Amino acid sequence: MGAAAVGTAGLAGLVSPTQAEELQSGQKRILQVFLQGGVSQLESWDPKPNTRYGGPFRAIPTSVPGIHISELLPHTAKRMHHLSIVRSIDIKTNSHQQGRLFMEKGRRTGVFPYVGAVASKYLAQKNAPLPGYLHVTTRGLEDNTDAFLSAQHGQLRLLGNKAPDNLVRPDKLTVDAARRRDDFRKRLNQRFSGRGGQRAFTESFDSSFAMAEKLMARKKMFEAEPDPKDVARYGTHDFAGKCILSRNLLENGATCVKVTHHGYDTHAENFNFHLEQLSEFDHTFCMLLDDLHDRGMLESTLVMVYSEFGRTPKINQRYGRDHWGTAWSIALGGCGIKPGVVVGKTNDEGTKVTDREVDGGHLFHTYFQALGLDSTANHDIPGRDIPIGDPSVSVIKELLA
Amino acid sequence: MSDAPTNRTSPPPPSLPENPLDVKQSHVVREFTHELPLTTCRIDPSGQFVFAGAEDFNVYRWNIDGDNKSKTVFSGHNSWVRSMDFSQDGRFLYTGGYDDHIGVWNTADAAPKPVKMVEAHKGWVRWVRVSHDGRYLASCGNDNLVKVWSLPDFALVQQFSGHKRFPYATVFHPDGKRLVSFDLMGIIKEWDLETGKELRSLEVKGMWGFDLKFQADMGGARDMRFSPDGKTLAVAGVTEVTNAFAGVAKPMIHLFDWETAKPGPSFKDDAFKGIAWGVRFHPEKFIIGAGAPQSGAKGMLWFWKPGEEKPFHTVTLTHCARGIDLTPDAKHLAVAQFDGKLKVYRLTAKVEG
Repeated sequence: MGAAAVGTAGLAGLVSPTQAEELQSGQKRILQVFLQGGVSQLESWDPKPNTRYGGPFRAIPTSVPGIHISELLPHTAKRMHHLSIVRSIDIKTNSHQQGRLFMEKGRRTGVFPYVGAVASKYLAQKNAPLPGYLHVTTRGLEDNTDAFLSAQHGQLRLLGNKAPDNLVRPDKLTVDAARRRDDFRKRLNQRFSGRGGQRAFTESFDSSFAMAEKLMARKKMFEAEPDPKDVARYGTHDFAGKCILSRNLLENGATCVKVTHHGYDTHAENFNFHLEQLSEFDHTFCMLLDDLHDRGMLESTLVMVYSEFGRTPKINQRYGRDHWGTAWSIALGGCGIKPGVVVGKTNDEGTKVTDREVDGGHLFHTYFQALGLDSTANHDIPGRDIPIGDPSVSVIKELLA
Repeated sequence: MSDAPTNRTSPPPPSLPENPLDVKQSHVVREFTHELPLTTCRIDPSGQFVFAGAEDFNVYRWNIDGDNKSKTVFSGHNSWVRSMDFSQDGRFLYTGGYDDHIGVWNTADAAPKPVKMVEAHKGWVRWVRVSHDGRYLASCGNDNLVKVWSLPDFALVQQFSGHKRFPYATVFHPDGKRLVSFDLMGIIKEWDLETGKELRSLEVKGMWGFDLKFQADMGGARDMRFSPDGKTLAVAGVTEVTNAFAGVAKPMIHLFDWETAKPGPSFKDDAFKGIAWGVRFHPEKFIIGAGAPQSGAKGMLWFWKPGEEKPFHTVTLTHCARGIDLTPDAKHLAVAQFDGKLKVYRLTAKVEG
C-alpha cells in the first residue's frame, strides 16, 4: 500500500470527512530549519542586551512594531511579519538527544513518530512524487523516526546538496530486466506474508524501493547544477545549497523537508561562532522564506526554526554558552500560524520562564493544528489507540491563525 | 626589548615604591573588583590609572594607588569593549567597542562622558592601537577592514582591505611606516602606511585550527605587540585546536623575526589547555604571557625568555586571564580576570612597611 493510500485511509479514521477533504485538496507542507547544537536564544529570538548575561550583541527592531530580535538577524528582522516567536520553552533537559527527541516527537519519552513522519502519513497527497519526509543534512543521527507508522514515512536523509547515490539504472540492467526483477521481489514478499511472515519485515524493504523509484524518477532535480540566480541570492556556502535543494523538494511535492544548519553547540567562542553561523543562516533562510512567499507556498507551508534546546544565559570562561533547556525560544511561521506574535516571556536575565511556559508537547500540537490536523485524535493504527499529540498538554492557541 | 612607551612620562605609581625587579617574588599589591567578568585591561601612560573592559557595556577606571572605591564608570558604548589605547600624552583614552564605535574619553575625568563616539566599522571594533608618534590610531573590525585615523580629528587616512576573515588585532611597526594586522585564519598582513599597499602576507598555520567535525575555524590574535626595536612581533593566541566548540586548544605565544618573516621561538605550555590572552615585552629581555584555561578556574602568567624551552617562572592566577598590561616602570603588571578581579602584581620582592 502506498503512502498516499495509507494517508487517505488514515484520515478517514481520524478526522471529519470535511477536514479530510480539505487536507487532501490542498497540499500542506512543513519546512523544518534545524539549528543543530542549540542556537542561543540570547543571540537570536530573545535578546537581553546590557544585562548580566546578555552578551555583546544588541537588539534591533523588526518589521513588527514592538518585537525586537538580535542584531545577528537583520534580514529576518525585516520579515518578522511572516513569523512568530515562542520565548517560553522549558523542556527540562539539557541533553542533546533528549531535547532533540522531545522537539521532534512531542513526547518526553517513548516510541513516537517524528514531526516529519506524522506529516508524511497524514499530509502527503496521493501519488506524492517524492518521499514524504526528507532531511537535507551533512550528517545526522540514526533514529527510528517513523516509530509505528511504517517505514515509508520514515526520514530519508540526503547528504548535503549532493545527489543521492545510484540514481541511474546500471547500463547492464535493461528496463525489462529491472521490471522482472522487481516483480520477482514482490512475489517473494507475497509468499513470505502468505506463510505467516510479519509484513513489517517486507514493508520496510518495499518502502525503500518505492523511495528509490521516486528519487530516480526525479534525478534531474538532484543532478542539475543550481540556477546561478539562486546561487547569487542564497550564497555559495553549504547551507545555501541545502536550502535551494529544500525549496526545490518542497516545490516538487515533498511533504516535510528538514534542513539542518550545523554548528551551534558553542561551549566556547559562542559570540564569534554565532556571528558566523547566524550570518549564514539569516541571509539564506530569508531567501528561502521569500521564495516560499513569492511562489504562493508560504500559506500552505509551516515553517519551523528550532533547535534541540537553547544555550545558558551564563557565559562561561571560554566565552561560551552551554546547554540550556530551561528558558529558550523558537520561531514559527507560514501555514496556520498567526504572524507577528510573541508567546511567553523570560525574566530580565533570561534564566527562567515567567509567562506561558510550554514544551515540546505543546509545540507538537501547535504544528499539526496549524496544518489542519486534529492532533488530539488517535493515530490510524488498527487496534491501537495512540494519540497523535501528548494528551496531557494542549495547543498554543495564541499562535493559531 | 621593551614594550613600555619610551617617550611617555613614566613615574612609578604613587605609593608603589621602587625595588629591584625580581619576578620570582611577584605578589599582588592591589585587587580591584567588578561584579561581571572583565574583558581586557590597560594602564595609562602616567601609571596612575588602570582601565578594564567588562561583560557589560562600560569601561571602568581605578586609581592604581587607590582602593575599589576609586572605581569610575565610563559609559557610552552599546556593547563590550575589548581593546583600548591612549593618546601619546595620556590625556585621551580610546576604546574599541563591539558596537562598531571607537570611544574617545578624557582619561582623568572625574565624571567621564564620551568626548566623541566614532562610527568606525560595520561590525565589532576588535582592536585599537595608537601609533608610536601619537598622530594616528589604527583599528580593525568585523567588516574585515583595517583603518587608520588621524588624531585628534579622527579623519580616515587609510583603509586596508584584503583580510577574508575577521582581523583580530593590528599594531603599528615602531618605524612608523608600516602597520600589521592578524586575522582569524592566522594570516598576518603588513601594510604600507604611506601608499596604502599590502607589503607582505604571511600565514601562521599553527595559530589557527579547523575543526572538521564542527566545520569551524578557531584562531586569531588575542594580543599582539612589537618589540620597541621593531625586530620582533609577538602574537598571543591558540594552537593545536582539536575541538573548537569546546575550546580544546593550547595557548601559544608566537614570535616572528619581522625583517626575515621567519618564525622565531614560540612558547606553548603543553600542560595547559586554553588560550593565551595577553603578551608583553619586558625591558629585561623576557616575555610575559597570560592564559585562560579551557576548564578549571586557574589562569596562568608565564615569564619566558625567548629561546628557552620552559618559562623561568609562572604565577597561577585565581581565575582566567583576559588581558595584561605593564606600568611604565615595568615593575607592576595588571591582570584582568574572568572573575571580575583586576589584580596588580608587583614584580619585585615585598616591600617592608
